[in-house]
Amino acid sequence: MKEQQEPFSNVPRMSLPNVSRRTLLVGGGLAAAGVVLTYQVQEMLKGRGSVFIAKNQRYDGPLEQTIRDGFLACGLDPLQIKGKKILLKPNMVEPSRDCPHMTTHPAIILAAAEVFRAWGGIVSVGEGPGHVRDTEMALVESGVADALDSLQLPFSDLNYEEVVWTPNRGRASKLKGFFFPRSVAEADLVVSLPKMKTHHWVGVTAAMKNLYGTIPGIKYGWPKNVLHHNGIPETVFDINASLPKTIALVDGIDCMEGDGPIMGTKKPMGLIVIGTNPTAVDATVCRLMDVNPRQVPYLNLAADRLGPLDSRLIDQRGEQWKPLASPFQVLDKPHLRSLVRHRGVLVS
Amino acid sequence: MNDWLQPALAQLAQSPVCGYLQNQAAATEPSVIAALALAGHGMGEAAAPVLDYLAAAQQADGSVGVREKEPTPGWPTSLAVIAWQHFDATKHKSRIDKGLAWITTMHGKSLERSAEMGHNTLLDGWPWAEGTHSWLEPTAFHLLAYRAVGQPSHTRAKEAIKLLIDRQLPSGGCNYGNTVVLGQTLRPHVQSTGIAMLALAGENDPSGRLEKSLTWLAWSLNARTTATSLSWALLGLSAHGREVANADELLAAAAKRVGEHDKSPHKFALLALAAAGAQAGFIRGAGPSPQPSPRSTEERE
Repeated sequence: MKEQQEPFSNVPRMSLPNVSRRTLLVGGGLAAAGVVLTYQVQEMLKGRGSVFIAKNQRYDGPLEQTIRDGFLACGLDPLQIKGKKILLKPNMVEPSRDCPHMTTHPAIILAAAEVFRAWGGIVSVGEGPGHVRDTEMALVESGVADALDSLQLPFSDLNYEEVVWTPNRGRASKLKGFFFPRSVAEADLVVSLPKMKTHHWVGVTAAMKNLYGTIPGIKYGWPKNVLHHNGIPETVFDINASLPKTIALVDGIDCMEGDGPIMGTKKPMGLIVIGTNPTAVDATVCRLMDVNPRQVPYLNLAADRLGPLDSRLIDQRGEQWKPLASPFQVLDKPHLRSLVRHRGVLVS
Repeated sequence: MNDWLQPALAQLAQSPVCGYLQNQAAATEPSVIAALALAGHGMGEAAAPVLDYLAAAQQADGSVGVREKEPTPGWPTSLAVIAWQHFDATKHKSRIDKGLAWITTMHGKSLERSAEMGHNTLLDGWPWAEGTHSWLEPTAFHLLAYRAVGQPSHTRAKEAIKLLIDRQLPSGGCNYGNTVVLGQTLRPHVQSTGIAMLALAGENDPSGRLEKSLTWLAWSLNARTTATSLSWALLGLSAHGREVANADELLAAAAKRVGEHDKSPHKFALLALAAAGAQAGFIRGAGPSPQPSPRSTEERE
C-alpha cells in the first residue's frame, strides 16, 4: 500500500482515548471507556488481568448466565454499559456448513447480545470475513444470518463499510496506521468472540487474532494480505494495540485442532473463556490447549505490554485451567514445534 | 418470477452511483456493476453519472481507487476500464489508455516456490493492494479488462490465464486463490469460481480443471445461494454457454433475501446484471454498446 503517500489523508481520523502510552497498553482504553470497575483498572495498571473459565458448557445450555457471570467476575461494570455501543465480533473467516467448528457458534452470539442488551447496551454484530468477499454467504453458511434475524440484531459488514484511519499504536510492524470500519471506530466496546482454534501459521487463534476481522477487505484484500506481508504476529499485536477498548468471550465448546483455522478437526472442550484483557484470555486459552503462550509470537510481543502472559499475573475466576487442559493437536511443522516442545512428543 | 427486477433497475437508474451498502458512500465496483446492469437491460443512458464518477475518481497515474476519495488500493481500475470501453471507447480513449498503463505496471508480489503452497507463486497476476501477492479475483478482473479492450493476447493477459487455471482446485472450483496449503487441499467458493470462469471464457485447459470447475459451479447452486455468489456464478457459466435451468428462480430467491435484509445496491446491481444473461457487459461478445448518453461526462483532459 502507498503508506508513504498518506493514503489516509482523505478519510476521517479516529481519536483514541487520551491516555498515556503506558496506560493505553495495559488497559487504559477500557478505563477510558469507563466499563470496568475501579479495582479492575488498578489491577490492570499493575499488569494483572482476570480470566473466567466455565466448563461443561453446551450451545443449548444457559449461556447467558455463564456470560453474565464471567464478565462480572472479571470486573466489567454493567452499570456503565447502558447506552454504550457494543460491537460483537465473531469469527466467520470462511464459513462452511460442513465445518461448524470453524466459526463462532450462533448461540454464543445470541447469548452475548442478550447479556449486553439486558445491561442497556446498544448491540450490533460486525465481521469482515478474511477469505470470502460474499459476506452474506458467510452469514448464511455459519447459521449467523438466522440468529441475527431472530433477535433483530443489526449487522455491520466490516469488509465494505466506510473507513476511518488511526495511527498504529503498537509499531511492531512497519504500517503507519490502520483503516478501521466506522462501526469498529465508533464502538464504545468491541467484544471479540473467537472460536478456540489452532492456527497453522502462528499456532493459536483466539481473541487477539480474531481482530484481523475488523480490518476492511476492501482496503487490505481477501485474504488481508497487507497484514501478512507486514508480519502476522506484528500486525496482530499492532491491531490490538490500536483497538484498546476490546474485551473477550471465547467459544471453547466445540473447538478446532490440527490444521486450523480452516481445515482442522473438531475437538470438543465444553468451555467458555471470558476476560477484559484479550492477552490474558489468549494466554489462558493456550494453556487450556497445552500450548506454551510464550512461543506464540504475537503473545510474546504482547506480554506485559498489552497484558500478562505469566499465570502468576492472571487471576483465575470460575474454573482453574489446569484440570481442564487437554492437548490440541498441532501440525508437525518446524515453525510450530516450539509451541508444544514441552510435551516431549510431536503429533502430526 | 422477475418481479424484483424492474424495481431494482428503477432504483439503480435513479442512483447508479452507489455503494456496497445502502446509504453509504459511493464505491467504484458497485457503481460499475450498476452501469453494466443498466446497459444490459437497455437502460445505458441512465448510467451516465457512473462515467462522471469514474472520471473524477481516476488518479494522475491512471488508477481508480475503491471509492472516489480513496485512491488506494487501485484494484477497481480494471472495472473502470471495462466500463469506459463498454460505454464509449472512443470518447474515453485517453482514460482507458491511462488505466491500462497503470494496470500493466501493477504486479502481484511473487514468492519463492515452496512445498507449503500448492500454487505456482511465481506466476504474475494482480494483487488486491500494492506490495502483496497475486490473488484470484483481482487477476480475473484485470484479465477481463484486457479482454474488453481487445488485448487478450497481451503478455500480462496470457500470464493471467495461466495463473487462473493454476489456482483451480484439483477437484474443481477455486477460492480466493490458494489451492493446497501445508499439504491440505482447500475448499472452493462459488463467487471466486464464477469470476474465474467468466474471465476464462473461451479458454482451453487440457488439464481438465476448467471443466471440473464449471461442473462444480453448476452443481453448487441452490435456493440458498446468496446474491453475489449466485450472480457471478451465473455470469461465469453463461460465458461458457452453460445455462442454468432455474436461474430465474434462484435470482428471485436471492433478490428476496436482499430486499428483506440489507437492500444492498451492489447486490441488486449484480443480480440485475446476471439476469441480463448474454447481454451482460462482462461477457465477451455481448451485445452492442449503447449509444453514449447526452448526460455523459465530457473528457476532462
